[in-house]
Amino acid sequence: MQVQFQENDARVNISGEFTFTDHAAFRDVACRLFQAKGDTIVIDLSQLQFIDSAGLGMLLLARDEASKSTRKLVLSRPQGQVRRMFTVTKFDELFTIQA
Amino acid sequence: MFGFNGNASAAAVADIPKRTGLPAAGGEDADREPHQGAHVELLQSWMSLAEMQQRVIRTLVVEIQQTSGFVEKEADDLSGRFQRLALSAQQQTGRVNSLTELASCIEVDGKAVKIEEIAVLLKDTLGDVVEKILLLSKDSMSMVYALSEVNANVVNVEKCMAQLEQINSTTNMLALNARIEAERAGAAGVTFRVVADEVRELSKATHALSVTMRSELKAVTEGIATGNATLQRVATVDLSNNILAKERLEVLLGALLRRGNVLEGIVAEAVSEAGLISADVDGMITGLQFQDRARQRLEHVIDALSVIGEALEVNRQNTAGVAPELRELAPSDMAWVTGLLNRFTMSEMRSRFAAELLRGTPDAEAHREAVNDGAQGSIELF
Repeated sequence: MQVQFQENDARVNISGEFTFTDHAAFRDVACRLFQAKGDTIVIDLSQLQFIDSAGLGMLLLARDEASKSTRKLVLSRPQGQVRRMFTVTKFDELFTIQA
Repeated sequence: MFGFNGNASAAAVADIPKRTGLPAAGGEDADREPHQGAHVELLQSWMSLAEMQQRVIRTLVVEIQQTSGFVEKEADDLSGRFQRLALSAQQQTGRVNSLTELASCIEVDGKAVKIEEIAVLLKDTLGDVVEKILLLSKDSMSMVYALSEVNANVVNVEKCMAQLEQINSTTNMLALNARIEAERAGAAGVTFRVVADEVRELSKATHALSVTMRSELKAVTEGIATGNATLQRVATVDLSNNILAKERLEVLLGALLRRGNVLEGIVAEAVSEAGLISADVDGMITGLQFQDRARQRLEHVIDALSVIGEALEVNRQNTAGVAPELRELAPSDMAWVTGLLNRFTMSEMRSRFAAELLRGTPDAEAHREAVNDGAQGSIELF
């Protein structure tokens, strides 16, 4: 997994594959995101090619953290396998997903 | 039957010379004798024709009777076959109706369950499985993070333990030094020596406690490491394929449902067609009852022909009675008889007519063939 922060750390682009092995890196990413100012945090997934069930679990944990601080977590532009996973798991009912 | 009066006919024939002005047979007028021979010959020709017509009528009557019997038997046979066909069509309709149920339902524990219901049940079950996988993944990752935190805490505790042991070692050294100094002081250092001994005992107890705590901490650390390893094995199991299996199964279920609907449509058409076939067959059975009317009509035709034949015979005999010289028949005009026979394309019918008309007696072999043909329902193709 590769990450790139934008917009004063309120937006991060995640690319490559997001799996269990990225859990430590993702914790750091989440900490940095939640330290940013603003009501909305955006994770851009347009370059993400693969996500496994652990990745979905980590996004759900990030959502819990966002709701604790009354902030909105937006998942942006999922493609391919990632979009199919979101569709099957009905992520659109849990997150705000930008097409 | 037609009220034909044989005597009246005889009188009419006897009256021919008067009405026509022709000389009677064996007449007196010598001037008319040249014509008389021709008239006799002409009348003999008519008599021959009448005799041949009688044969034709007799043959026709037999032919019509046989044909009527043949038609009646064939119609009965066809009617029986169509009735069996109607029964088969009804049974086929029943089987096709069973197919409708098979196409839309399957039997589970003796109860018919619709495929749509199975699809909904499977979809709900798979949705539940996916939901649980998500929950499991989230909780696994939550535990991974929690154990990671605990692990960091344990490392901090180990550092504290090391500091504590260092402090205890220093305390023990201080107690030892204090004891040495107390010995040097002699009687004045007695009290100080007691305090030094107590501090040393305290240091020993602290060291023993420290050893025990380190041992316990080691067990906790190993337990956390083992739990973390186990959790990581669980959390690293990728369930994304299991999640996407729901997608594939939904596609398969959709295809199954579409196939079921198509099959149901085809079966419905088959039921409709089977119903139409049954109706047509019933109509054919009803239509085959024409043979009753046909038989009655043919009986009337036979009756009419018989009357005509009888009338010809009476007229011929009366004529012969009045004019005996006409008993001798003129040779039959075989040209028209041959022409008639040549019109028949069925060889066995031609044989029967030839036997009757040419020889004047029925052809037993041909007659037997006709009867057999009727019994077997065979048809001569020509």
